[in-house]
Amino acid sequence: MADIDQLRQFITTAFALKGEELEQLLNIWQPFECKRKTILTTAGETERYLYFVLEGVQRGFYIGDDKKEATIVFMYAPSFSGIADSFLTQTPSNYFLESLTSCRFLRTTWKQIDELMGHYPEIRKMVLVLTSFILKGLLQRQVELQCFSAEEKFKTLLHRSPHLLQLIPHKYLASYLGIDPATFSKLLGSVRLS
Amino acid sequence: MPRFPSFRNGRFVLNLLQMKKYNSQALLEQLQADIRQLVLIANKLKSEDPGVLLEQPAPGKWNVVQVLEHLNSYGRYYIPAIEKSLQEIKPATEMFKPGFIGDYFTKMLSPSEKGTVKYKMKAPKDHRPSPHLDHQPVLKTFLEQQQALLELLEKAKTKNIGRIRTPITLSRFIKLKLGDTFRFLIAHEQRHFIQISNTMAQVKKTGTFSLAL
Repeated sequence: MADIDQLRQFITTAFALKGEELEQLLNIWQPFECKRKTILTTAGETERYLYFVLEGVQRGFYIGDDKKEATIVFMYAPSFSGIADSFLTQTPSNYFLESLTSCRFLRTTWKQIDELMGHYPEIRKMVLVLTSFILKGLLQRQVELQCFSAEEKFKTLLHRSPHLLQLIPHKYLASYLGIDPATFSKLLGSVRLS
Repeated sequence: MPRFPSFRNGRFVLNLLQMKKYNSQALLEQLQADIRQLVLIANKLKSEDPGVLLEQPAPGKWNVVQVLEHLNSYGRYYIPAIEKSLQEIKPATEMFKPGFIGDYFTKMLSPSEKGTVKYKMKAPKDHRPSPHLDHQPVLKTFLEQQQALLELLEKAKTKNIGRIRTPITLSRFIKLKLGDTFRFLIAHEQRHFIQISNTMAQVKKTGTFSLAL
C-alpha cells in the first residue's frame, strides 16, 4: 500500500472524513526519515510537526533535574506521533521525542493543520475527536499508574500491546510502567499470559 | 578554536579536494538533529553534582562548566551575527556547496567517526572562561542558545545558505557561507562535548563516562 493510502486508511477508520476535506488533509504531508536514536524534538523546543508513523518506534520521555528519566509514551505504526501537547498548544515541550529504531514517517506542520482547521469545520471536528480519544487513553493510564500493582500493570501492557516486548528495550518499558527494571524482568520470567 | 595545522599537511590538502555537495534541507535537518543530541546531553548534565561539573580534571585543564561557557562565548557572537545575516532576501536553493575555508574549518573541528578529537587546539584569549563560574546560569545560557540555533536553522531552510555570508570571530574580513558557519559552529560544539565526556570520566574516575543513553 502506498504511504499516503496508509494514512488515508488510518484517518477514515477513525473518523468519517470524505470528499474535499479528506483530499485537502492528505495533501499536506511530506515524507521524512530518520536513523535510530535521533532526537526529533527536545525539551524547550516547540513541536512543529505532526508525524504519521509508517515504520519504526519512537518514545517520548522526560528528564528531571534529579537524575530521573521517565518514558511517558511510545509511538509506532500506524499512528500519529510527535509531542502532542506542545504541538496543539504551540508552547515549548517539556519532553524529548526520540526514535528507538530507524523510522519512516509522513509529516506535516502545525501551520498547515491550523490553516485546514480554519477552513474546514469537519477537520476541526476530526482533530477534536482524535485528541479526545488521546485524553481518554491518558486518563485510563493515569488510573493504571496509580491503582495497579506492578504485576497488573505488566499484564495490562502485554495484553494490550504484546508486540512491544520485542520492539522496545525493556528498561524503557519498565520506566513507562513506573516499575523497577529488575521487577520488570522478574515479571517477565514469572507471569504467564493467558 | 584556532591554531590550525598548516596547509602543507598532505592529508588535509587531500581532504580539501574532496568537497562534497549537500542537499540544503537535508544538511540543515542533520545539523538540527546534531544540536538536539547536545541538548539531551546538556539536560543530563543539569542533574549532575555541581562539584563534579566544577572540578578541574587536571592542572591547566578546563572543568565542564568552563567548556560550556567557552561555547557560550561563541554563541554570543554567532547567534546575533547569523540572525542579522538571515535578514537578507536570498531564497533557498536545492544544493549547497561548501566554501573552501568553511569546509576546511569544519573538517578541522569535526570529531572523527570514532568520536575522538583529531587535532588539539588552543582557545584564543577572549574565549578562555574563568574557572569560577556558577554552573546553573552557564547551563541555562547554553540551552537557550541551542534553542536559538534550532530556530535559526529552521529559518535558514527558506534562505540561500550558499549566498548569504557571516563574518567569523577571528577576522571580520573573512566571511563564511551561512551553511558553513552552521557546520563549523556545530562541529565545534560536538568537539567540546567529547571533551566534556572525557572530563566527566576523569573527575568521576570511571574511565569512561557515557553521555549517550
